[in-house]
Amino acid sequence: MSQNRRDFLKTIAAIGASGTALSAVTPKKLKAGPTNILSDERMGVLVDTTVCIGCRKCEWACQGAHDIEQKDFDTYQHDDTFNKDRRPSAQNLTVVNKYFEDDNPITAKLQCMHCDHPACVSACIVGAFSKQENGSVIWDTDKCIGCRYCMVACPFQVPSFEYDKALNPKITKCDFCFDRTKEGKLPACVEICPVEALTYGKREDLILEARKRIKNNPEKYHNHIFGEHEVGGTAWLYLGPKDFTTDNVFPKLGNNTAPGVSESIQHGLFAYFVPPVAVYALLGGIMWLSKDRDSKKENK
Amino acid sequence: MRLFKLAVLISFIFSFQLFAQIENLKTHSQMNLDCKKCHICDTPTKANPCLVLCPRNKIESVRHSPEEGPDNIVLNEIKSEKDLYQPVHFTHKLHAEMSLMAGGCSTCHHFNPPGKIVKCITCHNTERSRADISVPDLKAAYHRQCMGCHKTWEEKTECESCHALNTTKKSKLVSKPSMENVHPKITIPTKIVYETNTEEGKLVTYFHNDHTSLFGLECTDCHTQESCANCHNQKPNFVSSKANEDEHARCSSCHDTENNCSKCHKNELTKPFDHFAKTGFALTGFHATNDCSNCHKVKNKFTGLKKDCIYCHKNDDGLFDHQITGVKLDETHSEFECTDCHAKNNYLAKPSCADCHDDYSFPNEVPGEKVK
Repeated sequence: MSQNRRDFLKTIAAIGASGTALSAVTPKKLKAGPTNILSDERMGVLVDTTVCIGCRKCEWACQGAHDIEQKDFDTYQHDDTFNKDRRPSAQNLTVVNKYFEDDNPITAKLQCMHCDHPACVSACIVGAFSKQENGSVIWDTDKCIGCRYCMVACPFQVPSFEYDKALNPKITKCDFCFDRTKEGKLPACVEICPVEALTYGKREDLILEARKRIKNNPEKYHNHIFGEHEVGGTAWLYLGPKDFTTDNVFPKLGNNTAPGVSESIQHGLFAYFVPPVAVYALLGGIMWLSKDRDSKKENK
Repeated sequence: MRLFKLAVLISFIFSFQLFAQIENLKTHSQMNLDCKKCHICDTPTKANPCLVLCPRNKIESVRHSPEEGPDNIVLNEIKSEKDLYQPVHFTHKLHAEMSLMAGGCSTCHHFNPPGKIVKCITCHNTERSRADISVPDLKAAYHRQCMGCHKTWEEKTECESCHALNTTKKSKLVSKPSMENVHPKITIPTKIVYETNTEEGKLVTYFHNDHTSLFGLECTDCHTQESCANCHNQKPNFVSSKANEDEHARCSSCHDTENNCSKCHKNELTKPFDHFAKTGFALTGFHATNDCSNCHKVKNKFTGLKKDCIYCHKNDDGLFDHQITGVKLDETHSEFECTDCHAKNNYLAKPSCADCHDDYSFPNEVPGEKVK
């Protein structure tokens, strides 16, 4: 999977040299396709915001697991953090915010939702992003050229950029603790959560469990699993007492996949190199017409 | 004819058996159930039904006294990669005692099978990474139980109110986890005046101490569905939204709150309960410390008793049981009429021995044997 910049440039050069003719012949084989697996066995996390106590231990553990500087863990409790609405950043890949402050407030953890049809994977022009078999949406920092298209594409505005770094700034986001889960460990946030507001499991099991919780406690839960269908489904699923979109926990999103429309237009347009050929033909035609007219003028 | 009778008899027996079978069908053994759903072993017996302890769908009512459980428990079953905190020393007995005012053992020991109370670890897995995610793991189970109440009054997450830090670093937080098994002394109110929104009889004067010390009520007789936050909430913001009958629920278990409103609802403050003013029988001496129920034996019925001592203090012969006063009359004295010694029916004044004897005086010399 890992590929350094030189390899990448070589690939581009090779495609540039021999590409056009070949691609017209065998478009399917060389069509830009990053790893984008939608496994039935993919994992997910069920976030039960009615259980979350807002201790922010997940933020602390996440920083530890990603070699980000941690503060003293007892400073994470009862400070004024909840006064402002925070977004995931390079220093905090996950953040806990307080919502519905007026009545029955909840605390909810935000991070990458690990979409089933990730817009970032689709938008990434160098194929650095990928959806892995276990559900994680990760990216290859060596491939990344820092174009920040992923940030624009993400419906949840999750990827963030190290703007404060002058040299070698990187794209950052939650990677579902890909390195930890590979070793059979739990994601750091799931492991530390004192009340198991975060339940790690197979996505389909989590949906069944979430439905059961709603059925058994209809007065406690808003009858909707956020992430089950939103933007085509996400690995992280949320349960809460109210509709999350009413207090901007999440934006109002349809059930269509985020890359669905854009991909069909783009892939349709560029299939078999029709638009470039058409543009060149058009330009050639104009040239041919105007050339003829110019010669007529000179003859006069 | 004989044959017919036999046929009737046989059909009767069969029909009976048929009914018996229908009856049997109602029991679970005849129903289409998976035995393993309730029994752990292959051959359950009556002596050892080997019932599954959990999960149970219904909360079973379990009732045990706090003394039956452990005093303090160190909750050290969970080990993680890196323990940030030391195990909690859980004051079980203290919590059990307080729970009597809020739903009893099943407040925490939910889904408990009848009989013995099972530990949390019986149903809740110590491993977070597990197959069955429908039951929270042990760490979550503990924290959810604790935070369910503790957060309602603290309104913040303060890990160190229960956990000591696992580092040498000193905690910045002031509050220290208490390992003592006693609840801080509760200030019991004496008089509470309720201002109600009724037009006539706005004030209800409630003498709490009368109910506890005089009427001998235990805390749990009235406080059955309390929330911890009722006392522990640091900034109480109660808005009474209870319906009329809810407001009266505590009183109506003894008082008739449907009628007789004016008995409690007055326009001015009332005085504490005075037995003499109400009944003409002053509660003096031993009677002052006596529980109401010692004399008023029928529950909630306080009428019909007579003032005569003998009405309550009767011995087997139907006579006054003099022993109750601390003096068991000897054979000679027990023959007398009461008024022979207690002049003018005044039983509070010391009897006069000098009426009969020359050189005797009560209580230096007693007409019998001192008991007690």
